[in-house]
Amino acid sequence: MNSSDIQIPDVIWSAFAPELLVTAIALALLLVAITRGQTLRVTGPVAALGVGTGIALIVAGSAVAGVVTAVVTASLAGASVLYPRRASIVQAVGAVGAAAGALALTVWQFTSVVTNDVGVFTPQGAFFDSLANDGLALFARFTVYLVVLIVIPLGYGYMRDRELNRAEVEPLVLFAAVGMVALATANDFITVFVALEVFSLALYVLAGSARRDRRSQEASLKYFILGAVASAILLYGMALIYVATGTLALPVIGDILGIAVTNRTVALFGIALITVGVTFKVALVPFHLWVADVYQGAPSNITAFMAAATKVAGFALLLRIYLVAFPAFVDVWAPVLAVLAAASMLYGAYVAVSQHDLVRMMAYSSITHAGYVTIGVVAVTDTGLASVMFYLFTYALTTLLTFGALIAIERSRRGEVTLNTIVGLGRTDPWLAAMLSVGLLSLAGVPLTAGFIGKFMVFRAGIESGWLWLVIIGVLSSVVAAYFYLRIAGMMFLNEPVNDAVRPAYGQVMRVVISLAAVAVIVIGVLPSAILDMADTLAVMLR
Amino acid sequence: MGMITVTILLPVIGAVLLAVVRSLTVKQVQTVAFGATVAAFVASLVLLSQFDRTNPNLQLTEAANWIPAVNAQIAFAVDGISLALILLTTFLTPLVLLASTSSITDRFRGYAAAFLLLEAAVIAVFAATDILLFAVVFELTIVPMYLIIGIWGGANRRYAAVKFFLYTLAGGLAMLVAIVYLYTKAGSFAYADMLQLDLTLSEQRWLFFAFLAAFAVKIPIWPVHTWLPDAHTEAPTGGSVFLAGVLLKLGAFGVLRYLLPLFADATRLYAPWLVGFAVVGILYGAIVALMQSDVKKLVAYSSVSHMGFVVLGTFALNTTATSASVVQMVNHGLSTGALFLLIGFLYERRHTRQIAAFGGLGAAVPVLAGFWLIVSLSSLALPGLNGFVGEFPILMGTFASYPTAAVLASFGAVLAALYLLWAYQRIFHGPLVSDENRATPDMTRREIGIITPLVALIIAIGIYPSPLFNLVEPSVERVLIETGVGETMTLGGGAR
Repeated sequence: MNSSDIQIPDVIWSAFAPELLVTAIALALLLVAITRGQTLRVTGPVAALGVGTGIALIVAGSAVAGVVTAVVTASLAGASVLYPRRASIVQAVGAVGAAAGALALTVWQFTSVVTNDVGVFTPQGAFFDSLANDGLALFARFTVYLVVLIVIPLGYGYMRDRELNRAEVEPLVLFAAVGMVALATANDFITVFVALEVFSLALYVLAGSARRDRRSQEASLKYFILGAVASAILLYGMALIYVATGTLALPVIGDILGIAVTNRTVALFGIALITVGVTFKVALVPFHLWVADVYQGAPSNITAFMAAATKVAGFALLLRIYLVAFPAFVDVWAPVLAVLAAASMLYGAYVAVSQHDLVRMMAYSSITHAGYVTIGVVAVTDTGLASVMFYLFTYALTTLLTFGALIAIERSRRGEVTLNTIVGLGRTDPWLAAMLSVGLLSLAGVPLTAGFIGKFMVFRAGIESGWLWLVIIGVLSSVVAAYFYLRIAGMMFLNEPVNDAVRPAYGQVMRVVISLAAVAVIVIGVLPSAILDMADTLAVMLR
Repeated sequence: MGMITVTILLPVIGAVLLAVVRSLTVKQVQTVAFGATVAAFVASLVLLSQFDRTNPNLQLTEAANWIPAVNAQIAFAVDGISLALILLTTFLTPLVLLASTSSITDRFRGYAAAFLLLEAAVIAVFAATDILLFAVVFELTIVPMYLIIGIWGGANRRYAAVKFFLYTLAGGLAMLVAIVYLYTKAGSFAYADMLQLDLTLSEQRWLFFAFLAAFAVKIPIWPVHTWLPDAHTEAPTGGSVFLAGVLLKLGAFGVLRYLLPLFADATRLYAPWLVGFAVVGILYGAIVALMQSDVKKLVAYSSVSHMGFVVLGTFALNTTATSASVVQMVNHGLSTGALFLLIGFLYERRHTRQIAAFGGLGAAVPVLAGFWLIVSLSSLALPGLNGFVGEFPILMGTFASYPTAAVLASFGAVLAALYLLWAYQRIFHGPLVSDENRATPDMTRREIGIITPLVALIIAIGIYPSPLFNLVEPSVERVLIETGVGETMTLGGGAR
């Protein structure tokens, strides 16, 4: 890259500048946790180091990276000064700063990439080609860091209320985000596996972070055991692919599978096992069994993070493996994925209808959405790729909006949020009810919300590639899904509140964040061009 | 910015005002809402003055880029059919809001805002010439109506609201898939480009049914009408008026604008079937209406029957019948709208709609009885009132193509006289015995003011229908030529 900064041979540091920043801040936040309130002892030196590095970067000619590093570390120290004995605030500020800085660096990468090559981007490898810094990677970066940026303020008050404001939460969220982005950039099987484990291990712990809650423990353990089995199966699949091709690099695998036919059976077994492992992560039927319990048991802010960000990472992986390594076998895997998608759309919607607990319902709804996204994957076109990215981005935004509202309700309840909980919310808190409704309408795919455009783009990609039957199943599932989203809206607006009516709890920050998310969902729904064009640009940049 | 955009934006501005300015008193909310709808009505009259009646094509075109990535535009234009229906919409909405000021006491601000958004969406449906935009606003009409039924409706409102939502959403999504398919063929969403498409018959069949799913539910065509009686009965008065007056027309309009011209071969293939379903709907709706004890339910089923006439005329596929069904759409909007208003007035006084509870009311409320009689007669197509100039040419035109269907449908008109007059008799005639009936107050000046414009139009169209026919006929002929049934059948004298 032309604008690269500190040139150490063979490693283009700027290619993963956002991850470097986030990892550094996460490590610093872990240290903050052991200062027993004397946060400045850590943040002071970190800020000094960060500002120093920043100046060095600016001198070396990379102004954006330098400014971001300096500002993020300085704000961490600033939070320590302002709130001397409140480690939790310092941690939240640090995590938000890291996410914001990473977003800024991602935008910088995107603009410098696009402007330098006048729109024609040759996706580049970094770290000896084990990472692919392409459109998919930039998309995953942008979305995952945005999710972190939103989810930290959503969870702050909630964690405090439930007395699980533990020091490890923010660093683990940051590590998980780095793992997810690394997964989306991974260009060989070793990196894929390491990245997968980095974010999975962080999520196993996060799911169990409500230590005194048995459901949280159960969620953590279930997720861990099932996830470990899935990882093992994935690893087995990778090994078989290695046997068949003699390499671990995804593009090389793609080339070899394209020409060699001798090891076809082994390769097919490998693809089958990898499909199991990957579809477990994105929770397609029949590998969805963990979702409901994990979503319900984990603290809701962690669930929001998992729902929004894990889907992004999982589908980025799915796209890269199937489009880069297995294009020769598209006739085999596309129908299989299509069947899984169809099953997910129908089963998820069918089971969600009978759910009483809203988080559980969201879990099954996430299964149907994984199905919709898969329509864009099996289309195997640039349009399909763009539609998948657009869908995942809007889904992440909508999910955060919905979970933000659910968290606000849960905080006042100190317990699970069921359909009965929200009866009459339209009376007791019209603003929150309206925000939750925007999220639900978008999930249902009602026009003038981001969800409608997302569904539209995915269906369009599907029809263009001849998957009409799959799209029709998607429509059927949407009608069923509309029923249970609508039922929630109905409970809020069409019923009068009962005596022990819920009075949601949220602070100003949360109010602003939720409002912004709702505005974004509607703006994208009305004028989607900017995001659509970005998705189109990124789609042609796949390595 | 052209006049169509202005007409759509005025109600939207009103709704935004209501949503943003929280400090308005109830009186001010009423003023803003009423003002916005009257302004929209004036704008639509300006639109009418700009409209060239001799030109059968879509005109007064306005377009702006919307989603360049998929070649979608925000594009509007009107022909005679859509202009007639836009005028109907902008005419009815102020009356609906005015009628609701006394009956809706709870959260009137939200109620008015929902109506303003609904009006804007409906006008956009009639004016859209980009088919994606059409699909979006078509679906969008569901949400405010769902809220109006669900929040301000009767005892069983939740069931009715959800049923309404799911029926119409399911139909709309089927259409959306077909629209995407058309888009992949045409490369844009422009209506003009869609018309150029050369589709095979088997493609046309599938697309025809996907579009029909959306429109048949909205109209509604028997047997997918079952949401309508529930929605009508549970909706507040304003909701019922708007539903009958305008929302049911969305489907019939869609048939004329999209189903017929885009899938001409399939249309000619399936037209006899739809004529058959229309006849069943006419007779079924009329017979079920006869048996109702709740007067609002009676009118709801009469809607099924009357909209059956619209479908019958449309699929008779000749100028006489098809033009008359556009006229009948307007007529049904006026007559049934007026009936629902009167039922609402009566309900506000007595809090019951059971016909058995009334009797001899004619002596207590002579003004209400008089209006009720005129509107009933209009609805049963008495010559000299608007219903006749719609239904009679429909039957005439249909007789030329499908004699049996026309004869059977005529029985629907006879049954309409039976159920409407019988209901009138049981409510207003006979001895005035019960104290409650005797104490029922007559219509207030405000209520008379609301119903008078409707009745005036009912009589005016009945006596002198040619302006309305002249407005819609060229466009209907264009549609029929595009459908490949260019024959123009004119009747000597007759209805006009």
